[in-house]
Amino acid sequence: MIEFHEGNLRVPRWTRPVYMVAAGTSDFRKRYPQKKLEELCMMAFRMLLEENNLKMDPLEVKGLINFCSYGEFADHFQDQLLCEAKVHDYLGLDLLPNFGVKTGGATGGSAMLAGAQSVASGYADCTLVLGWERMDEVKTWTGNYYISTAACKDFETRLARNYASYYAPMARRFQEMYDVDERVRAEIAVKNRRYACFSPFSQQPGNHTIEEVLEGEIVSDPLRFLECCAMSVGSSAALLCSEELAHKLTDQPVLVYTAGGSHTLRTGDRRPMRIPLLPNESEADYRELYADMEKQDGRWPGFESFGATRFAAYMAYRMAGVKNPVEDLDLVETHDAFTISDLQTYGDVGLTLYGREQDYVRSGDCYHINPHTGKPGKCPSNLSGGLLGTMHAVGATGIFQCGEVFWQLRGEYDKFHGDPKLWERYGKKKPADWQSLQIKDARRGLAISHAGVGSHVVCTVLEKA
Amino acid sequence: MAHDVKLKTKPSEITREGDAWILHFPRFGAEGTHYHTYGLLTPYFEGLAQGRLMATRCVNAKCPIGRGKGEMWLPPRADCPDCHQPMKWEEVKNPRGYIYSYTYVERGGTGLEIECPYYQVDVRIEGVGTIFKGYLLDRKPIKIGDKVRAVFRTGSDATNTCLDIAWELV
Repeated sequence: MIEFHEGNLRVPRWTRPVYMVAAGTSDFRKRYPQKKLEELCMMAFRMLLEENNLKMDPLEVKGLINFCSYGEFADHFQDQLLCEAKVHDYLGLDLLPNFGVKTGGATGGSAMLAGAQSVASGYADCTLVLGWERMDEVKTWTGNYYISTAACKDFETRLARNYASYYAPMARRFQEMYDVDERVRAEIAVKNRRYACFSPFSQQPGNHTIEEVLEGEIVSDPLRFLECCAMSVGSSAALLCSEELAHKLTDQPVLVYTAGGSHTLRTGDRRPMRIPLLPNESEADYRELYADMEKQDGRWPGFESFGATRFAAYMAYRMAGVKNPVEDLDLVETHDAFTISDLQTYGDVGLTLYGREQDYVRSGDCYHINPHTGKPGKCPSNLSGGLLGTMHAVGATGIFQCGEVFWQLRGEYDKFHGDPKLWERYGKKKPADWQSLQIKDARRGLAISHAGVGSHVVCTVLEKA
Repeated sequence: MAHDVKLKTKPSEITREGDAWILHFPRFGAEGTHYHTYGLLTPYFEGLAQGRLMATRCVNAKCPIGRGKGEMWLPPRADCPDCHQPMKWEEVKNPRGYIYSYTYVERGGTGLEIECPYYQVDVRIEGVGTIFKGYLLDRKPIKIGDKVRAVFRTGSDATNTCLDIAWELV
């Protein structure tokens, strides 16, 4: 579709408010032979019930659940159809209803959306959202083939069988169009992997330098090894409730607004269209960009941007009353499966104008502490360590992101990242140089769950009630 | 013409049911073969094996976007996404274009049939609205904007897959 009609642009509206009251997660590892998949899901479920200061006994809370929304990316990886039934049974939730959601990398976000819909509609008062992925049953290059079956099997998969090779041309085009310095991409890898050092859940924390990133092995030119996320195993969970129940369960409930968008599986099929404007943008903001595009045979969203992300943000911001993202949001979790997708997203969600994504990263506002001013960044991104540093157990990712934002809004970053016992739980030692990444008085955050080269995107705005 | 980039695959077996080609994809030996139909896109794959690039175009005068003169689609589609009417096949004669974006694939996932390294290229083809992904037969350094033309694997060389069209620098 290249022209929208009124009905297409109707802003979603919950019929009653939806709240998040608890989050839980396992840790994440590239290989996790110590535990079976359902055992990892139990880790996330137990943390959700037992460690979020809920005002009822964990089993009483469990007794409130009346629907489950599960996220799993790929049956190929689990080598098991109907994994949802196995997990559901293992968590002791029979005979309650559940369904599985599948939208590629956005599966976790879509599971949140489906879960929120169940509460908003009145189908449920208390919904468990839980996602997982086990990507370690096959070797990495077979895993890469599995993932590349999320490219078009008739026209694309045979052209690489490796997903980075479908992102790399976007990186190349973005770089050319906006004259991007590759050091900016490298900076993103350094930042997110550094933040992962402070997370007990993270699978690939590291103190790297920009030079190290740029000197690294090339996965698919121009993307280097440290610019790409890795195979991952683990599970994450969230508990969603009606207003009445939320206030019974906690003094710190968090409001949930979530909306999705989608676009072609094949990037090249994305026909040119006008940019749907966010509340803080005007046509005049993009006059120059449209003129530049004309000169360079460019198009929006083309290879440079994600139409699905823009559409999801367009809706989620209007649902949540976000007027100016960089001022109204206190933090964001982007889907940094590759450095380039993190960079592209800043324009899509309006933290900066399209074409100025590089300047936004350089401004330092995406850092916890802006390295140029020494003051807090305006809208820090991926304090969790992101997909690059912490995890991308795909079906869990969008839920994990919401959990991290949720804990930030409740001022619980330190509780869930700084407790030495939590590090020990996962066989790790809390680093001597651990730093708190808690944002002071965070009120509103955004999580972006993203599939394929932008085929499905879900934006969730979480807001302190 | 000798090219740098070669395929390491055998032609896929094809059977025909009515007008449709069915591609045999033996993942787990003969018993574990997937039978994948090309359905209404069969003319595209048949075309490649005959050295012709076939695209589709919406000619429905009532189409809200194409208004009877829609742009050409590659990959083709049998039905127009804007008005849902069947599209019309049309050959892209002497296909040429320029490199819109690219990556150098140094290693691909398990089962890759193209010998690495090679360039995966997105080609802006003259007269076509979409941007078309393929692979380049040259290995020398390239840049966005470089001109290319299509090369086909035909007859007994045809793999009967999307690999039957490649591009070479002009």
